[in-house]
Amino acid sequence: MAFQIERRDPLTQAQGVEAGYAQTARRWPAQPLARRSHSVAELSGPQVGRRLGEIRGDLAGYGERRALGQLIRVRVRVLDEDGAPLPGAVVEAWHCNAAGKYIHPNDTHDAPVDPNFYGAARMVAGDSGLVELRTVKPGAYPVPDTGGWWRPPHVHFSVWGRAWLSRLVTQMFFPGEPLNESDAILNAIRDRAARERCIARLAPSRSSELVYEYQLVVRGRKANPAIP
Amino acid sequence: MKLIPTAEMTLGPFFPREFAEGANDLAAGAGNAIEITGQVTELDGKPLDNLVLEIWQADAAGRFDNPDFVGWGRAATDAEGVFSFKTVKPGACAGRAPHINFLLLYSGLMRQLQTVMFFDDAADPVLACVERKERLIAKREAPNRYRFDIRLRGGEETPFFDD
Repeated sequence: MAFQIERRDPLTQAQGVEAGYAQTARRWPAQPLARRSHSVAELSGPQVGRRLGEIRGDLAGYGERRALGQLIRVRVRVLDEDGAPLPGAVVEAWHCNAAGKYIHPNDTHDAPVDPNFYGAARMVAGDSGLVELRTVKPGAYPVPDTGGWWRPPHVHFSVWGRAWLSRLVTQMFFPGEPLNESDAILNAIRDRAARERCIARLAPSRSSELVYEYQLVVRGRKANPAIP
Repeated sequence: MKLIPTAEMTLGPFFPREFAEGANDLAAGAGNAIEITGQVTELDGKPLDNLVLEIWQADAAGRFDNPDFVGWGRAATDAEGVFSFKTVKPGACAGRAPHINFLLLYSGLMRQLQTVMFFDDAADPVLACVERKERLIAKREAPNRYRFDIRLRGGEETPFFDD
């Protein structure tokens, strides 16, 4: 049974140039994207786990040195379009600190750096496709050069699926955030249900951390056998 | 059960440096290593800093499943928009001419952009389906050095693929 990738649905995926996000009109191609048939080159995929090792799954501090902010745990399940979990999937996560500042030399936002916060994690999914990220809840921040648009709290995720075309880079949002309603990136997704799937679900917790649950669905499914 | 793929979103400008460091060398000291460098620019030719490129390619024999050659690498551009990879020249495979798949991620790109680098104007179904196909053929600058500039938008725009 072969593996296949279906075309992106324009309702559930962003289309390129967005009026509310000026840089898209400088960077998204003006020419229509070409369509190609898929060969082994696109439908096979790298075993990135052999090159990319785990880098901590805990961004909330080192030992006694604790990052400031609301302690959270994000349980992320990696699935394909058939709903099959992807054990061994490599998942990268990064986000800003509780004050809205990234650990990056290009971030010029006038917010404090937290010396006990580390902004980048790389994890490998277990047998049920699950990774758990322990961290502090990221803050909001103004996007540079856009005149007043604030990003809602979000976590960046990067994950590899079975095929080269399964590669998924996305952002996870938090429920109940007023800035979600006006974010040019979240709202570039036209379908309401697709946007809501980008917002984590708050799960019951009796521990010292708020727990969020989330799914990352990578492209690709088993092809249907031909009907005789 | 049919699930809908998660919406892709922009990488943003603050991709951690640590994630790209050292990931642009696929050759691991192989004697037949080649170097690929290029510059990534936006409208008006402005270079883009900390844009992330990932590549996926066959090994020198055209195999995508060689356990000793992962075939994947990642680079981030510098302040001049310049990236480089060290790798081996891929072989031809299953009706495809030697090529390297490129994926680009950046702020202002709402989802990944895919393009392909070829070494020659060879017979290949993917190269054949684009206009301006010369934009997908790397320039050979030295026996083991290739140049592959990528223009996201504007004149001399690189062809990209929708899958």
